[in-house]
Amino acid sequence: MTEPPKEGIKYIDSKVHLPYHYVAGDYKARYLSALKDKRILGSKCSKTGKVFVPPLVASPESFAPCNEFVEVAGRGVITTFCVVNIPVIGRELDIPYVAASVALDGADISIFALIQECKPEDVRMGMRVEAVWKPDGERHGDHEDIQYFRPTGEPDAPRESYINRL
Amino acid sequence: MTKLRNVAVVGFAQLPVVARDEHRMSTEMLYPVVRQALADCGVERDAIDYQIAGSVDYMDGRPFGFVAALDVMGSWPARQDLHLEMDAAFCAYYAWVRMQAGDCDTAIVAGHGKTSEGEPDRVLNLQLDPYYQAAIGLDPTSTAALQASAYMARTGATDRDFAAVAARNRAAGARNPDNQLRRAASADELVKTPWAVQPLRQGYLPPIGESASCMILAAEGKAEKLCDRPVWIHGVDHRTELQTLGARDLSRSAGTQLAAQKALAMAGVQSAAAADVVELYANTPAEELIVGEALGIDPKAAQPAINPSGGALCANPVMSTGLIRMGEIFRQLSGRAGARSVSGARRGIAHATQGHCLQQNIVWVLGTERRWT
Repeated sequence: MTEPPKEGIKYIDSKVHLPYHYVAGDYKARYLSALKDKRILGSKCSKTGKVFVPPLVASPESFAPCNEFVEVAGRGVITTFCVVNIPVIGRELDIPYVAASVALDGADISIFALIQECKPEDVRMGMRVEAVWKPDGERHGDHEDIQYFRPTGEPDAPRESYINRL
Repeated sequence: MTKLRNVAVVGFAQLPVVARDEHRMSTEMLYPVVRQALADCGVERDAIDYQIAGSVDYMDGRPFGFVAALDVMGSWPARQDLHLEMDAAFCAYYAWVRMQAGDCDTAIVAGHGKTSEGEPDRVLNLQLDPYYQAAIGLDPTSTAALQASAYMARTGATDRDFAAVAARNRAAGARNPDNQLRRAASADELVKTPWAVQPLRQGYLPPIGESASCMILAAEGKAEKLCDRPVWIHGVDHRTELQTLGARDLSRSAGTQLAAQKALAMAGVQSAAAADVVELYANTPAEELIVGEALGIDPKAAQPAINPSGGALCANPVMSTGLIRMGEIFRQLSGRAGARSVSGARRGIAHATQGHCLQQNIVWVLGTERRWT
């Protein structure tokens, strides 16, 4: 027999159900809790002083522990960005929209951020932006607490201020 | 036997095994043990050439989650790294092979995974074929029970025999501060525990537990500088059996038997009975008896000591359990085993397994002296 039978079962459908109950970890839990108070926490490398947001227990770069929590600003600078013209899974966004890396003031690495309240063609490296938070009472300690970032209208940051935080 | 490069275990660290660490993600558990293993060797991360880790993405619920381990293993500047979806005892084999090839002298071998975040029975069901074995809902306890039943049918072993094996592990395990179960339990007590899946009782199975582990391996020339009492690899072999359970004789472990023959031959040792101590990765008493038989050791003999750590029945942090067997032999042979020390131990065997019904098996022969001169 070289071909599958014309009658009968040719395919098997299978559903895989794997539930998880993740531990956030004390560092992430502290970071998420602070979002409820419109505060953004990072952790500082004990060897290099670099600040990581969200906080990490150890510096991926130096391998040293990050023992100190520091608060960073809810505003910063766009280090790099892209203009998205394809629909995104899981979020309702009008396209095109801008996804950017934002280096928050006081942080040594960037976070990923959505940029709104401006035209995509106006976005540029060095543009100053700030977090737009969900209203009081609607923040639950998750990444949705920051709705998006928007331009502050401040003068652009000089290139050397962010070129090492891409 | 061809002369091979002498490679030694020079450091080992693990977290005490717990049911659930509420404070740390998997990689956050791994970080301190990598630091500890390096600190025990008195070196910084830059002193080590190569790194390899074992974890299961499905267990962690993080597709490609293994790459997160890079962030806590000191992986910068860019390193040579490998990952196995296997217990870290198998990772150690790959590091050893790299050293035989001569392209590295030192390696970090790590195992990590949070067994408590998902449902291990559901995850391990997916190891089976999706058309039949997985589809009918076989889980690892059920397949282990099939194996136990097959072993009883062939050998005449009884429920009482299983209880005795579990009780010996529990008695030994009470002396191991890293264990999840640290209370001794008698055969009389265990034989009265309810059935999990008959013929396996709840008292014959390990609790779900999690940990992280890290071993440092080093070749001759480096090993002596990293450790006061390096424990040398004399022989190793690993074998994989068929996935189709019905195509194997479940009452035996042909893979362990062959791996043991090859590893002992490499070590230049006649039989496993010449070892002072063995550590077996057995998820059930039946597995321990099957593996012991395949190795050729007599559980009633005075030598070797079997599972002075308490074995997997007292602590089974998936992805680390096998590496811990190797780590235990290192501890025994290097004077680091504390209250569970086997007096005068100079040669040991570590066994690790993975998969349903002992599908994959690795056997390590370790000793206090260099194998090749």
